Amino acid sequence: MKKSSEAFKNWLLSGSDPLEEEMIETLSDDAAEEKQAEEASPRAKKERRSLKQYLYDSGLYRPVRILSSVALCVMLIVMLMATVMDMPYFGQADTLVDSEVSEFYVKHTLEHTGATNIITGIILNFRGFDTLGESHVLFIAVCSVIILLKMTPKEEDPFLHVHSDDALDRKLEKDLILSSLSRILFPLILMFGVYIILNGNISPGGGFSGGAVIGAGLILYLSAYGYKRIQRFFTYKTFKTVSCLALLCYTSSKTFHFVTGANDIHVPISLGTPGTIFSGGLLLPLNIFVGLVVACTMYTLYTLFRKGDF
Amino acid sequence: MLEIVRFAVVAALLIASVVLESFAIFGVNRFRFALNRLHAAAIGDTLSISCVILAAIVYTGFELLSLKYFLIVTLMWMTSPVSGHLISLLVVKTDEDIEKEAKEWKN
Repeated sequence: MKKSSEAFKNWLLSGSDPLEEEMIETLSDDAAEEKQAEEASPRAKKERRSLKQYLYDSGLYRPVRILSSVALCVMLIVMLMATVMDMPYFGQADTLVDSEVSEFYVKHTLEHTGATNIITGIILNFRGFDTLGESHVLFIAVCSVIILLKMTPKEEDPFLHVHSDDALDRKLEKDLILSSLSRILFPLILMFGVYIILNGNISPGGGFSGGAVIGAGLILYLSAYGYKRIQRFFTYKTFKTVSCLALLCYTSSKTFHFVTGANDIHVPISLGTPGTIFSGGLLLPLNIFVGLVVACTMYTLYTLFRKGDF
Repeated sequence: MLEIVRFAVVAALLIASVVLESFAIFGVNRFRFALNRLHAAAIGDTLSISCVILAAIVYTGFELLSLKYFLIVTLMWMTSPVSGHLISLLVVKTDEDIEKEAKEWKN
């Protein structure tokens, strides 16, 4: 009785018991024999060849197909090149004169929002609620992934949590080349992400792209150094705190904006001088909040799909 | 005179990168084993891209923008071999017929 319970426990903890191994061995022997018998008979050989012909198309129409696919590719290349040639030049003044909406944005974004990067001015000021919904969509996606994939901690349920951190770290097999490269690269990547977020209102970039860069940097750190090192500064609690706080701050600042703007109250936040980092009123904090949400979301999705926990 | 030389250098570099990239595409589609294909893809990843960026550097002249181009090349040359190394490790670990393939390639 004791032995069988031990075997059961062994099986649960993903070990293998001798009986099972024996069964697998006999099964693979049978499969090999079958394969040999199949190879010996000429009919099976013929069938296999016809299957190969069907799959790889080495028959009559092969040159036609190759020629037609090459022709299709060349046509596509020519079409794309023609489109690129037809595009307006970079920085041309009369690019989109026909469209009233874009003309309004191009002419008035700077005076309304104080952002030299028109795109940030549009997505965080004119369409701020749209971006708010987008960051909430990201948060909801992570929540549903957590509901589906997050495993219970080991103390609560000993049978569900099979892989311990040590086993996973061993499976990772820390690579010397990767870890020594990421020692140089990880700080640079983080710095670049922060630079993109902070410069969102004056140069191309912003919360979404900078947050994606930071999230990718965290993923690189995880794959280079393993779970133990990253748990020093990024755990489930960190994710919860940072994400929820950033979304709350975003919502409250946007509500403030909405109330003051809709009721025509004077906004006390000045727009600052365009072109400096502290300009554009609420754009800089909004960019930071969006960046935090995106970075946390990217890292969390990765680690949940990989391990089911942080 | 200088303009003509510059144009010629840029054109030569771009043509070289196109040729190298077509080698890479041909190899990726033509080789049978994953490790060979990886080698072919690495040509496009490192040499061909660096040729394009070098052409851009020559085209803009030597200023701040060309320094940024140079940073792109440095980053590509640092990261692309490492990712290739990791993928090849994965191939060696997961491919069941790796020894057979290696023998076949040698002969």
